Amino acid sequence: MTLSVAEKSYLYDALASTPSIRPDGRYPYQFMPIEIYTDFLPSSNGSSRIIASDGSECIVSVKAKVVDHTSDDDLLHIEIDIAGERDDALITESCTSLFNKLLKNIDMKKLQLTKKYSFKLFIDVLVISSNSNPVSLISFGIYSSLNSTSLPKLVSNFDDLEVEELPMFHDYDLVKLEVVPPLVFVLGIVKNNIFIDPAASECEVANNGLIISWTNGKIIAPIRTLALNDTNTKGFNPNLIQEGIKLVEKYASDIASALQNI
Amino acid sequence: MSRLEVYSPEGLRMDGRRWNELRRFETSINTHSHASDGSSYLEQGNNKIITLVKGPTEPTLRSQLDQTKATLQITVNLTKFSKFERSKTTGSTKNERRILEIQTALVRTFEKNLMLNLYPRTIIDIEIHVLQQDGGVLGTLINGITLACIDAGIAMYDYISGVSIGLYDTTPLLDVNSLEEAAMSCVTLGVMGKSEKLSLLQVEDKLPLDRLENVLAIGIAGAHRIRDLMDEALRNHAQKRISNASNK
Amino acid sequence: MSEVISVVARNGAFQKNMITESFESDNSDNSDNEDYNMSGSDDDEEKPATRQIASDSDIMTPGELITDDPVWMRGHGTYFLENKTYSSVAGTVSKVNKLLSVIPLKSRYAPETGDHVVGRIAEVSNKRWKVDIGGKQHAILMLGSVNLPGGILRRKSESDELQMRSFLKEGDLLNAEVQSLFQDGAASLHTRSLKYGKLRNGMFVEVPNSLIVRSKNHTHNLPGNITVVLGVNGYIWLRMTSKMDLARDMPPGGSTQTSGGSMGPTGAVSLNPNSNISITRLEEESSWKIYSDENDPNITNAIKQTISRYANIIKALAFCEIGITQERIVIRYEASMAYNDIGSLIQRDNMENIGQEVLNAEKMRGSAA
Repeated sequence: MTLSVAEKSYLYDALASTPSIRPDGRYPYQFMPIEIYTDFLPSSNGSSRIIASDGSECIVSVKAKVVDHTSDDDLLHIEIDIAGERDDALITESCTSLFNKLLKNIDMKKLQLTKKYSFKLFIDVLVISSNSNPVSLISFGIYSSLNSTSLPKLVSNFDDLEVEELPMFHDYDLVKLEVVPPLVFVLGIVKNNIFIDPAASECEVANNGLIISWTNGKIIAPIRTLALNDTNTKGFNPNLIQEGIKLVEKYASDIASALQNI
Repeated sequence: MSRLEVYSPEGLRMDGRRWNELRRFETSINTHSHASDGSSYLEQGNNKIITLVKGPTEPTLRSQLDQTKATLQITVNLTKFSKFERSKTTGSTKNERRILEIQTALVRTFEKNLMLNLYPRTIIDIEIHVLQQDGGVLGTLINGITLACIDAGIAMYDYISGVSIGLYDTTPLLDVNSLEEAAMSCVTLGVMGKSEKLSLLQVEDKLPLDRLENVLAIGIAGAHRIRDLMDEALRNHAQKRISNASNK
Repeated sequence: MSEVISVVARNGAFQKNMITESFESDNSDNSDNEDYNMSGSDDDEEKPATRQIASDSDIMTPGELITDDPVWMRGHGTYFLENKTYSSVAGTVSKVNKLLSVIPLKSRYAPETGDHVVGRIAEVSNKRWKVDIGGKQHAILMLGSVNLPGGILRRKSESDELQMRSFLKEGDLLNAEVQSLFQDGAASLHTRSLKYGKLRNGMFVEVPNSLIVRSKNHTHNLPGNITVVLGVNGYIWLRMTSKMDLARDMPPGGSTQTSGGSMGPTGAVSLNPNSNISITRLEEESSWKIYSDENDPNITNAIKQTISRYANIIKALAFCEIGITQERIVIRYEASMAYNDIGSLIQRDNMENIGQEVLNAEKMRGSAA
């Protein structure tokens, strides 16, 4: 998206003024409205589709497989495919590495079946279209797909180290997966203002961006900066990081409960 | 699995259909208005696909520019989670031979049906995401593209509807699912509108020639039915749009 | 609903309204009329051998026979085979004199001569700009089709060719008129009037082109000191009202009798009733200022908020697929004052309300009249 010089300076001035005026009139803490659909893929254990009001869309599938965790302790596998980008594109790789790190925060004990076996989760993300940085949307997608994931109920013994047996499952009873994945928030910085969930036009003029991760009521690593455009990026006042963290701390639980309420 | 189960002596298939019955066919049009010029979402049995048509637009590369007609580009994304068992291949599946073959077959089918000569010096980019597959995918892809191209307002001679037919012993089975597809020889057809003209015929297995006519006949009849279902969905959609537009 | 985020959610479905008709043949008990039985389902669809021409309101789909009467000329959206005319798109039939065409329900913007469009420069090349107007191809704006700094009497020189980027560069927005069409359907634009040119002092909004109805005037002054340019191509520009915009609203003083008197030297309808001032202004405006990238420093925060409010109203109308007109924007703007918080206008239920209220308001007025 290329904007004209006049558009950019208009947007910049609006976002930099106190209080900031966003092009769609949102509050600094307000997200674009989203639509969430879950559990529409019968051949996956969990699935979700998230669409933001600007048309950005992402689909997540969760499939589970029983593995011997004594030999394979990597219980989460995530793959991100961004339509129109190559698999080795910078954006795809940086998203994948970010989520690989983030999902380490998930309590893997919840995936354990027996002393020997665990579920391994394959999380596949497909970004159909995105107008700005998709990480926030992807994290919402992962959150709601894991939230909708149900796994077969174990009926065999937990202790299988002594007796050699494969885990046995109930024919149709399912157990809801109880993991809480982290959420990722993108914040845009313009001059001395910071605001959440920047839209494409806001990204074009932002001086910098921040990625802040959150789970279970607290801020977690990674927190990092993110250049939202090639032309306007420059340094910012470090106090804004504090301000951004406060913003996320205050409003993230609202997002989490909105995502759970399906 | 025993071969008997594929088609029971009472004439019922594994999913309870008779030999000449299609699967559930549900579609909606203009599902991704922000991201594309034309789009459709189609469920044919357990096949679920999203089709996005972008264009005709100015090509980004010089090599895509044709002075006489539009360049047609089709990308099929068979997602790794689309099958019951997740695909084990590491890395990209985009350049797999099978996918390239499907793409070529689709381009050939639609090149002749879309009036590309009306849009010189442009590119029409079609992007399909297969979210779930359960046999006869090529036919479903054809139906999805037809609907999305109509939604994009691209001129074409007629609908093309696609369907796969299997041959079980001497009985042709219409609109096969993946279990049937694995158990017998199959043919995929692309049929022009209500005509008996084929724009695509794909046979990848051995098939007795004397049975082919029978298989084609049931396939064409099934494709005509699919055309009618698409037409019905499209007219409903059109009616809604027109009643909205009367508010102009 | 939380004001942090508004969510529409559904479990077990791919989208909000699952497809209108559902054809369950998987679990059905195979009674003949429920399934796609080949026997007997086709013959009711047989087309009559000869057919009268379809009426205007009929929906045509690709491959459908429109008429076998050869007197009709075949326009867009149709094709001709063995003396019969068929539809090539899904849409409605339009008959103008003997020209028969099918207007698709939706397509990319198809330019027509005289259209007022908003476009964005995509490429600067030899003596011309390529402009993205949301059409199938970029439109062309020739160097000779713009007003250059220094007034109309100035000659174009080679140095102009070299400094084209200092007039208009990639990303710049402008409004222009479609001057003519090339053989392949691409548009040629011109900005040789004071109402066209580079756009400043505001914000861009995009809507589907089908929602903008062609009319005499596409630039409107709105309450709150805002001017909107509704490009026929669905590109919309919202800006602070300038003196030039206000001049248009003034009654043509004195020169009402002579219609030629209100014509400016560029051939466009003069923005200012007094032709003397008009020429002076033309020279003044034809200076470098018309290609400036600087916004007016007097845009207050209140104006910016009003622009955001209008942008959200336009998006809400587009969301409801309601045609966008000046009257509707104004009705909604006045009603939207009830929402103190502009950001709440983007929430889905509020957008639906906005659309419904506009339609209700029009119904009420219609019944009163």
